[in-house]
Amino acid sequence: MLAYSLKKLLQLVVTTIGVVTLVFFAMRLIPGDAAAAMAGDTLSGAALERLREQMGLNEPLFVQFWNFLRNLLIFDLGRTMTTNLPVSDLIKSAAPITLSIALATIVLAIAIAIPLGTMAAYMAHKGHKTLDNLITGLAMIIALMPSFWTALVFLLIFSLTLGWFPASGAISWDDPYSVMMRLALPILVLSMSQVAILSRMTRTAVLDVLSEDYVRTARAMGWSELRVLFRHALKNAALPIVTVVGLSFGNLLNGTVIVEAIFTIPGIGTVLINGINSRDYQLVQVLMIFYALLFVFINFATDILYRALDPRVKF
Amino acid sequence: MTKSKKTKAMILLSASYLALTIPAVLIAPGNAMATGPGKTLNIRFYDDPAGFDPTNIFRIENENIAFNIFSGLTSYDSQTAAIIPDLAESWHSDDNIVWTFNLRRGVQWHHGYGEFTAADVLYTFERNMDPETASPYVSRLANVVSVEAPDDYTVIITLNGPDGNFLHTVANYHQGMIVNREAILDAGQDVRWRPVGTGPFYLDDLDVNSYIILKRHEDYFRGPAPIETLNFRIIKDEQTATIALRNGEVDVVMRSNRQQNIDTLREAGFKLNRTDDLFPSVRIFNLDHPVLSDVRVRQAFAYAIDYPTIINAVTPDIYGTASSILMPWMDVYCDDIPTYSYDPDKARALLEEAGYGAGFTIRQLSAASGGVPPDVQFEMDFLAQVGIDLQLELVDAPTFNQRRNSGEFELAGRGIPAINPDMVLFAYLHPDNKAPAGLNGARYHNPELTALLEGAQAEVDPEKRLEMYCEVQRIAMTDLPYQPIRTWNAFWPSAPNVTGVTVNMLSQVNYFEVDIE
Repeated sequence: MLAYSLKKLLQLVVTTIGVVTLVFFAMRLIPGDAAAAMAGDTLSGAALERLREQMGLNEPLFVQFWNFLRNLLIFDLGRTMTTNLPVSDLIKSAAPITLSIALATIVLAIAIAIPLGTMAAYMAHKGHKTLDNLITGLAMIIALMPSFWTALVFLLIFSLTLGWFPASGAISWDDPYSVMMRLALPILVLSMSQVAILSRMTRTAVLDVLSEDYVRTARAMGWSELRVLFRHALKNAALPIVTVVGLSFGNLLNGTVIVEAIFTIPGIGTVLINGINSRDYQLVQVLMIFYALLFVFINFATDILYRALDPRVKF
Repeated sequence: MTKSKKTKAMILLSASYLALTIPAVLIAPGNAMATGPGKTLNIRFYDDPAGFDPTNIFRIENENIAFNIFSGLTSYDSQTAAIIPDLAESWHSDDNIVWTFNLRRGVQWHHGYGEFTAADVLYTFERNMDPETASPYVSRLANVVSVEAPDDYTVIITLNGPDGNFLHTVANYHQGMIVNREAILDAGQDVRWRPVGTGPFYLDDLDVNSYIILKRHEDYFRGPAPIETLNFRIIKDEQTATIALRNGEVDVVMRSNRQQNIDTLREAGFKLNRTDDLFPSVRIFNLDHPVLSDVRVRQAFAYAIDYPTIINAVTPDIYGTASSILMPWMDVYCDDIPTYSYDPDKARALLEEAGYGAGFTIRQLSAASGGVPPDVQFEMDFLAQVGIDLQLELVDAPTFNQRRNSGEFELAGRGIPAINPDMVLFAYLHPDNKAPAGLNGARYHNPELTALLEGAQAEVDPEKRLEMYCEVQRIAMTDLPYQPIRTWNAFWPSAPNVTGVTVNMLSQVNYFEVDIE
């Protein structure tokens, strides 16, 4: 386990350096820079050049890269180029929001999708095709609905027509109720596609194991169908489901970008998009490291869960 | 813990979460952000705030915050765009070279920074012109020779040469906003987020991803504003902003640009708070291009497109028809200039005469953010009918800005927001400002126009000055380095009980004039 953790740590360092280098140079390959994005229509020529100078964009590329790496080594994330605010402050305020959305979405999706998928598998196994087709068909339709569209439809229904949820507003952790109200719609929208994917995955995985000998043995021992399904079949089908949940969590962090924009949620996706649009190299580079760390951590957590679910798994 | 207990614990955990979330979701009563005592106006803010330091402030939405925090020596009347007194009670100049400003007494800075005096004006000029500040607006003060303060309430500014439009330079906009030395030094490197002014509101709180809160300056020299708190909520998506207004989550939508949203709000009985002809949008012809260097080709573009029909069909509210690069409300605007009504036969004849009767292909640089709007598709169709194959080169906004500013295009479009006519005429027509050094993206240079322009700026006699500006506009509209294609109308829709929302010609709203009934 220790060796495995060290290996993961090393992987993290290599991944981070790779991501930072790639993002650093890729961002600078894109035409336009932070000064041009910030000035918009207003400036050109000497005035724009003065702004560029002030933002440190005229330094040689490798000097900029070295400065960034050197500051990283002393855990100085720097200040954004466009707002001159500490990057760490932006991440501290935005990350909890996005992580809460992603976590709640996954929990909600698991709570709905796993029973649904298991039930669909059971129906298929027993030859009740109608219900199985209904569940899988519905899941397919939901999976095909783009989240930006669903988000707008939900806004129109739940916010404008029914007035249940606000479409905008600040997120203050001092007021958990208002946070819940603000995040409910984005969580519902994001969990829909996750339910669709996870339920289909669960159905396939459970269906595979329902014909196994140990399931037949469990039934022969007179255990109830529910116990057979959830204790024997589902548990043995859990590995692929856990893999998908791990991947989904990673994807969700990307998926929140559009939904955050529509629901005006000041999460990490919003910060990232703002950073890219304004060519705020410093901000985007740090956020990429944040994402890299998070992905490596998710992979690590998924591996640990494998071990918990199946003792035969060795690291 | 046994395995079955673990499973039960997991199920319980999930169930608890759902038990907490779902009921809260279902019994949700609606919106409403907690408000303190006094009136609170919730306003949709449409982009990321980028700071409010006047020496380095950009974009209309940031300028709108600063406009309500700072004051200038002069300001603008919201309705007419006329210059009005602000921190200066009065002024005079006999020759448009030496300008004497008499300052108000007893004006208080925000946050207890004391009384405003002439020393603050001196410091503001000094800071604007300090190379360390690196203000992009320093060029607007290039004509300033000296700024003196004979006493605490008098400022004398001497210019290098006469400038009849100098009162615009000291207005409450960019370099004209007066700052306080002590506050600037106290703010250190956070200066753009700790603005201290003498305006009707001060910055109380801010989250750059979420909100900006301004509070009423109780000691404002015109008296306290009717609204106590301005809560700017960042809502980028205009559709969401429209829903937020309809839901009562915001009272004012800062800028609504889509016809569909305006129609919806109009039908629902909201105030639209419309200001027409805010600024023109133009097509920039790169005159270094062999085809576009021929004035007949440029005029053919102008005759080929039926703009009134396009505007009526697609965006009857958002756009107006444009016939000049200056707006009719500007004091030097002239309507005795060449105009180009839709005449495809004339366009074809001009192209034939120029040797392009068989047509040609030309590329227009465009920002891809909104895709290809329907009105541009119509333009392409109209041009195709006279043989011009207009192709769009779609790039993202920062790339677009960079390439347009450096002049890397054949054709490009841009809005020309300005309140000072010189900011349009000098910036876009004077050869000193040819791209990439300046905003003259057409690389236009007509010595006759340049001489007239310089002469007009220096002229003291108002009638002679106006006639010279008229001649400048006639030449510009004949040579057509920039083709006016439309004017922008501003809409800041609000709830019916909100009064006084007037978008001035700088696209600013003075919240001192706004109230909730």
